[in-house]
Amino acid sequence: MKEKSESYIKEILSTRVFSVSAYLDLLNTLLQACKTKVVGEISELKRAQSGHVYFSLKDKKDGSVLNCVIWNSVYNLCGVEMKEGLEIIASGEPDIYKPRGEIKFKVASVQLKGEGELKKQYDKLKQKLEYLFVEEKKRLIPQFPCKIGIITSKQGAVINDFLNNLGCYGFEIKMVDSRVEGEEALKDLLLSLKTLKKQKLDVLVIMRGGGSLESFLAFNNEVLVRELARFPVPTIVAVGHDKDVPLLALAADKTVSTPTAAANLLNQSWQRLEWEIKEKEASVFSFLSSFFDKFKLLEYKVKEGLLRVIEGEINDLKTRIERFQSVVLSNDPKRNLALGYSIARKSGRIIRSIKNIDVGDMIDLEVSDGIIKSKVNERKKSKSKS
Amino acid sequence: MKEKNLNQNLKKLNEIVDWFESQEEIDVEIALKKVKEATEILKEAKKRLKKAENEFEEIKKEVDFE
Repeated sequence: MKEKSESYIKEILSTRVFSVSAYLDLLNTLLQACKTKVVGEISELKRAQSGHVYFSLKDKKDGSVLNCVIWNSVYNLCGVEMKEGLEIIASGEPDIYKPRGEIKFKVASVQLKGEGELKKQYDKLKQKLEYLFVEEKKRLIPQFPCKIGIITSKQGAVINDFLNNLGCYGFEIKMVDSRVEGEEALKDLLLSLKTLKKQKLDVLVIMRGGGSLESFLAFNNEVLVRELARFPVPTIVAVGHDKDVPLLALAADKTVSTPTAAANLLNQSWQRLEWEIKEKEASVFSFLSSFFDKFKLLEYKVKEGLLRVIEGEINDLKTRIERFQSVVLSNDPKRNLALGYSIARKSGRIIRSIKNIDVGDMIDLEVSDGIIKSKVNERKKSKSKS
Repeated sequence: MKEKNLNQNLKKLNEIVDWFESQEEIDVEIALKKVKEATEILKEAKKRLKKAENEFEEIKKEVDFE
């Protein structure tokens, strides 16, 4: 395939006569394939009124020079303060500027060469943005978050780790797929923030897996850090880190080390609620069951205790009344009437002695079934008594 | 006779029974009077007892039913 196209180009080149413009167009098309990274020292640095930055990259060994340009928009994002003498790695592609016929390396991103320089740049920016990282600026992650904005790469284990650990609490996930490594990461991340800014969210989560120090560059970009600090809802950053915490993580309202930890953080208030509900449920249940126990005991007491007591009382009463009755009955003088005794009365008064009556008196003799009206004919004193 | 409550009646009966039991020789006339009084009180007391028993049965039925 490659050979075919090469031979095709060769054929065109050998058979055609080009205009200058068409030839430069062809060269530019071919030069696109030379997209790469070039290391060198900055010299002849100029910033035009338009904001575009023109400079040369000089080879430290033999002084070879590559003319470069960074467009204003790229420069604003690149996060590197360009200075003559600074050694950088520029990523980009060569391009011939047709009106002048000059070749220029169009720089898409810049990074500092060497850990020392990177560290210096990191420290400087960290100090500059310190006011964004203070504790007072941190917003609380809302309780019971629902609408979650996610910025991460669809590829890789990160999003799966996150989703697998997110509880079933009815979360609404709005995810924007973004590169989180390499030169395109910064642009993608900024665009993703812009997209999600317009969405109604409760919280934003930016995640990535581990990676080399170099790949963290986007997360130390000033523009991105400022955008995150300005984000309308609380933010969680789970990007992990090597030696230095990425500035993006410092600017987040909450920083965690892994996607799993981010998921757990979002679960937290829901889990607590779930636990509280379970606990309340248990306490209501135990309250009810103890209430029923008490009720049963009370019922038992009423049935077995109180009723028994009353029953006993009634029986006692019955026995007492029966005893009273039997005592009264056994002492009733009239009981003797059935045996043949009688009670003699004169004018309603019981006659106890012959002295109580006179001959001719009318007396009543009460016997078991009635009264015998009698007249006294005679009084006779008993022999046995005096 | 004025209706007295069960306790008063029982007290009165107790007095009468005590009286009978404490007499060595019983005066017929007083005995008759006491028996008459006791009989009336007993009638009243039995009526009250029956009522209490009925009420108790009702309650017991209700409790068992629940």
